[in-house]
Formats: sequence, C-alpha cells, structure tokens
Amino acid sequence: MSATPTVYIVDDDDAVRDAMGLLLETADVPHHGFNSAESFLEAWNGSQRGCLVLDVRMPGMDGARLQKALNDAECHLPIIFLTGHGDVPMAVEAMRHGALDFLRKPVAEQDLLELINNAFALESTQFVAGETARRLQGKLDSLTDREHEVFTHVAQGMSNKVIAAELDISERTVEVHRSQVMKKLDAASLADLVRIHVESESA
Amino acid sequence: MTAQEHPSQQFDRELAGDGTDVDQYYRLETLLKNLPGMAYRCLNLPHWPMDFVSDGCFDLCGYHRHEIESQQVLWGDFTHPDMIGEVDRKVRDAAENGEPFEVEYRIIHRSGQEKWVWERGRVVDRRDDGVAVLEGLITDITDRKQAETALVRAEAFSRAVLQSAVEAVITVDAQGAIESCNESACRMFRYALADMRGKHSRLLFETGDYRDFEALFSSIRGSESTSAKTAELRGCAIDGHSFPLHLSIDDIADPVLDHTEQKFVLIIRDLSHQRAAEKEVRKHRELLAHADRLNTLGEMAVGIAHEINQPLTAISMYAQSGVRILKHSNPDLEKLSGALDKLSRQALRAGAIIEHMQQLTRRRESKLETVDCSAMIDEVKRLAEVEAQLRNITVALRVDKLLPCVHCDPIQIQQVLLNLLRNGMEAMHQRGKVVDDKIVLRAQHETDTVRFSILDSGTGISDDLAQQLYKPFSSTKESGMGLGLSISRSIIEAHGGQLGFANNSNGGATFFFTLPVAGDELK
Repeated sequence: MSATPTVYIVDDDDAVRDAMGLLLETADVPHHGFNSAESFLEAWNGSQRGCLVLDVRMPGMDGARLQKALNDAECHLPIIFLTGHGDVPMAVEAMRHGALDFLRKPVAEQDLLELINNAFALESTQFVAGETARRLQGKLDSLTDREHEVFTHVAQGMSNKVIAAELDISERTVEVHRSQVMKKLDAASLADLVRIHVESESA
Repeated sequence: MTAQEHPSQQFDRELAGDGTDVDQYYRLETLLKNLPGMAYRCLNLPHWPMDFVSDGCFDLCGYHRHEIESQQVLWGDFTHPDMIGEVDRKVRDAAENGEPFEVEYRIIHRSGQEKWVWERGRVVDRRDDGVAVLEGLITDITDRKQAETALVRAEAFSRAVLQSAVEAVITVDAQGAIESCNESACRMFRYALADMRGKHSRLLFETGDYRDFEALFSSIRGSESTSAKTAELRGCAIDGHSFPLHLSIDDIADPVLDHTEQKFVLIIRDLSHQRAAEKEVRKHRELLAHADRLNTLGEMAVGIAHEINQPLTAISMYAQSGVRILKHSNPDLEKLSGALDKLSRQALRAGAIIEHMQQLTRRRESKLETVDCSAMIDEVKRLAEVEAQLRNITVALRVDKLLPCVHCDPIQIQQVLLNLLRNGMEAMHQRGKVVDDKIVLRAQHETDTVRFSILDSGTGISDDLAQQLYKPFSSTKESGMGLGLSISRSIIEAHGGQLGFANNSNGGATFFFTLPVAGDELK
C-alpha cells in the first residue's frame, strides 16, 4: 500500500464492497477493500494514509472491536461507520470512541463522498501536524543532555550569566552550547527558541 | 294278597305264577329302571294319587317309590302351584276325550329345587265310579329348558347389542347379498329395513370404490385365515349421500353349517365425524403454526432488515456509479453495463430474501409433499443465518450425502427447524460469547426415516426447564410467545414423528426428530 490517501473499505458483503469501490472509482478516489476486520488489521503497517469506511456488523471481529484494536495499534485513520437499521446504539458507542461519523445503509453518494473528503482533510492536517511534531522531536533528540539543559533555561528567559551560575560552568561555555542549540533547532532568534520550546511542551 | 298289595308285587306275582314269563318280567323291570324319568299309574283325582311309580321317581322328585305308592305324598304336591291349574285342565280335557296328553311344567324337588318336567300319558282304564286311570311317563327336561332359556337370552342380548350398536352390522351370503342388518345400517344408508334385504352389498359403496370392496370380499371368501379384513372406503346412501367409512369384513364361523353355506358379516363405521374432527384439529394447528411463523418473523425483523439492506445499499451505489459514469465526458459504457448487471443481480438477491420471508407468512393448508432434504435444509440455513450473523454464530451443516426425499409439508418442517435453530442460538447467547461459536444442523439417513438434529452449545436443558418445555405460553425468552416448541411438537407428531431432546456431554442440548422417507414414487 502506498502513502497516497486511500479509502479502506472493510465490509464482509462482497456486493457492498464492490459497489462502493465502483462508486469511488467514478469519483477518482483511491480505495482498497477488505472482507474482514482481521484482514485489514493484518495489512496495517503504520504508513497507510486516508480513512476507513467500516461496517458495524461483521462475522468474527465486528466494527467496534476493530476500532479498539486500531486505537491500540496507534492507527489514527479517521473512521466512517456504516450501519444498518437498529444499530444506532452501536454507532453512538463508536462516535464516543472517536469515529468521525456514521452513515446509514443504504448510503447517499453525496454524504459518503463529502464525509470521505472531510476525513481526508482531517487526516491530512493530522498528518502534517504529526510530521512537524516528528521533525521537531528529531531535532530535540539531537541535542546533548547539556545542550538540552541550556535550551530549557534559555527558553525560560534566563541570561547566560544566570545559566552559567546555575549549571556551574563558564559563561563562555554556555554561549557555545547556546549557538549549538540554535543551529540544531534551526532557530534564528531567541523568540524562535521560545516558540519551539512551547511547541515541544505541548506535544 | 294283602289289602295294600303293591301293583308291582301283584305284577310280580302274576308273572311268577306263570313261570314261563319270568324272563320277560325282568326285562320289563330293567327297562323301567333305566327309563330317563318315571313311569306311573294314577287316578285322575285331585293331586293324582299314584299306585305305581318306577324307581326313577327318586331322581325326579326326591321321594322314594314306597312313599309315593303309599300315597303319603301326592304328585300334585310337587307340582308347582303356578302351573298345577294348567296341568290339571290339560289332563282333564284329554281324559274326557280319551286322548293322550303331553304337558311341560315345573315341579318342586324334595330339596326345594325347581325342575322342569315333560309328561306324556293317557287314560288306560276307568274305575266303576268313572274315575279315569292314567298311565304315563314323566321326564326331567330341566337341562333342555335351561339351554333354551340361555339361548333365548343370548339371542335377546345379541339383538340388543346389534340394535344399539353405532356401527352398521350387515350379514351377507356367499354371493354378497344382504340377509339381515341392524337399525344403524338402515340409518347409515337411509334404507328401509325391507329394502335392505336381498340387495347386493356392493350397492352400499360409491361406484369408484366398489371394486375395492369386491376385491376385499373375494379375498376373504377365498382365504382360510380367521382374521377380519378391513378397509377405508366411501359409502353411498340410497339418496346418493356419500361419506367416508371404515369397513371390517369377516367370515361368520358357523360350527353347524358346512362350507356350502358360508356367510359373512360386514361391520361399518361412519367416519364423517372423525374426519371432520381431524380436519378441525388440522385447521387449528395450521392457524397456530401460521401465528408462530409471523411471530418468528417479528422477532427476526432486525436481522431481516439488515439482510435486505445489504443488496439495497449495493444497488443504490451501483446506480449512483452509473449516473457518474454517464456524466463523464467520455462515458465508459462497458463499465456502465457491468454496473447495471451487478445492480440487477442485487435486486434479485433482495427479492429472493423477501420471497423466503413471504413463504413463511403465507397462510396455507398443510400439504404433504415429496421433499428434497438438501434443498430444504439449505433454505433453512439461509433463514437461520439472518439471525446467526447478528449473534456472531456460524450455522454448520452435517448432512449425509445422497439423502433420500422425505414425505412432509416443507414450510412446516422449515418452521420447526428454524424454531429449533433459533432456540439453540438463544441458549448460546444466554451462555455468553465464545469465539467461533457454531450451531450444527445434522441430517442422517436411517432405514425408513431421515433424522434431523440440532446441536447447540448453549446452557443445556435443566430438569426444571424440561418439565415445561413443551407447554404453550411458557418461554425463557423475553420476547417469545412460548409457542414455538409446542407447535413444533404438534407439527412433528402430525407427520408421524416424535420431537425429542437430550443434553450434550460437553454442554448444550440436542433436539431431534425423524421424518418418513418418501415412498417409491421418487428416488
């Protein structure tokens, strides 16, 4: 599976899967079908992009249990549930666990495509945010312990002199660490350093 | 000669006086002794004083010869008071006309026991005063009289039985002509008794059936066996009214007649009421079964809706895809045709589901057919899976290869199988979730039957539950009417089978029943 945003259709009914596939094909939406929750879980490798369209009722592992298993596997692809009549309680439960939305079968084309667009947008934002955070984390990880200490103190607004006294090192050494930190974190100014620190705290 | 010389002594003497007749005398004595009864000579006076009786008197009345001849007791003393007048009149008339008389009457033995006697006598002489001297013989006919009475009673009894019998009882001769019949026969066939006699018995049966009757009649006429032959035929009354009847025909074993005079008895029971009652029972069963099927469908509504929703979902998406393809600047017609093809297949799928459901809702008279087991089981499996999917249970089949056809009403049997499968799944649900849960539907060919079993892995049947299992309106389910099992049982019993159950060794229960293999007409 590529990293192109794709709709993963998980439904045990061959006809429903096939029909939805055709519909998405006519809308030029990449898609991939799975006939059971288990087979999708097996295919999940952490790099897939897009969203899930998931049937609530399936033999074996049902939709709700797949949702839980995916949460455990750190898969945060948005999920659109498909439900039949009388499955509203299950759908509500799914929403509580973070599903994007649910659609009643039979499905209106507009609703489905709109939801898929929303899901892709959400996933994309999440992905970008995730990427930024991952990149930042990578930079932070490259700091030495001492550099990290200096970074924290600088970001808290301490002067080099105070930091040197706090860490029991020379002011000159603090300056070297500080320029090293600015370089590693791609920061042009003190303001940049403070922003990066806030971002890393909230991540 | 003494004043009271005994006549026999006188006789003895007369004979002895003439020695040549001694042999003759002893011969006469022996004859009199061995007479079955008593010879006498008496005067035709009140109570008939006797001056000679033979030794048979003792057996007859319990008095010795000398007691009677000495006239200590008179014959009239023994004669039953109710009858003495009549006897006296007959004897007197005969005496007056000089004719012999015969009379039957009762006497009272010395012991008090009553006896019937037959007497025959005549006047042999007259005294100077005109009193007739009678001689005669009196014989004990009690046994014969008793046999006669018993016979009369037996006849009265059998007549009463025959006339009060609900069945028509008709006797016919070897040609089948009616000789006699009881009132029921006349009522049943609406004939007057006189019209019935002499008619040929085959006229009592419908034209279409009287060949069967003739065959039965000739088979019993030809057979040596003593058992009756029976058949169910249609009878025909004189006014054309036709009715179902049960006929039993038998040879009348007559120990006296030889076989040239063979006779037969027909015993006929009108089955109209029985048939009507059976029909009523069947109608009730059909109504209940229908109500149960509707109830079952109600309970299955969620599953059915889900089942129909699947093809509908696919249909709507194929249609929407089709529209999108057409809107394209360069429509891919091949793809469109494929979509429409699939769409129509899904429409048929939805239709088939509805058709199955409709079969269950239809109210219909039960009809026995020759049914292919495998096809019936496949359909039931499909219906049961509607529910099984909701409960995450698999319906597994264990069906013998080459199952024979069975004789049954397929809708009713599917209803029973569906009931049992749903009960089993309910029990499994109550027991709690298990991965890869399955319920097994088994069908095995036994000699003349096919045995159907449903094996669940539910909670099993407790003793308490077993007590009220088949009771109508008792249910362990919240939504159940509690009719399923009682209806299932009555359906199976109407098919001539038995519905049974047993707990499985590894938990759960098995319900089973058998159906008769269809006759030679198929497979």
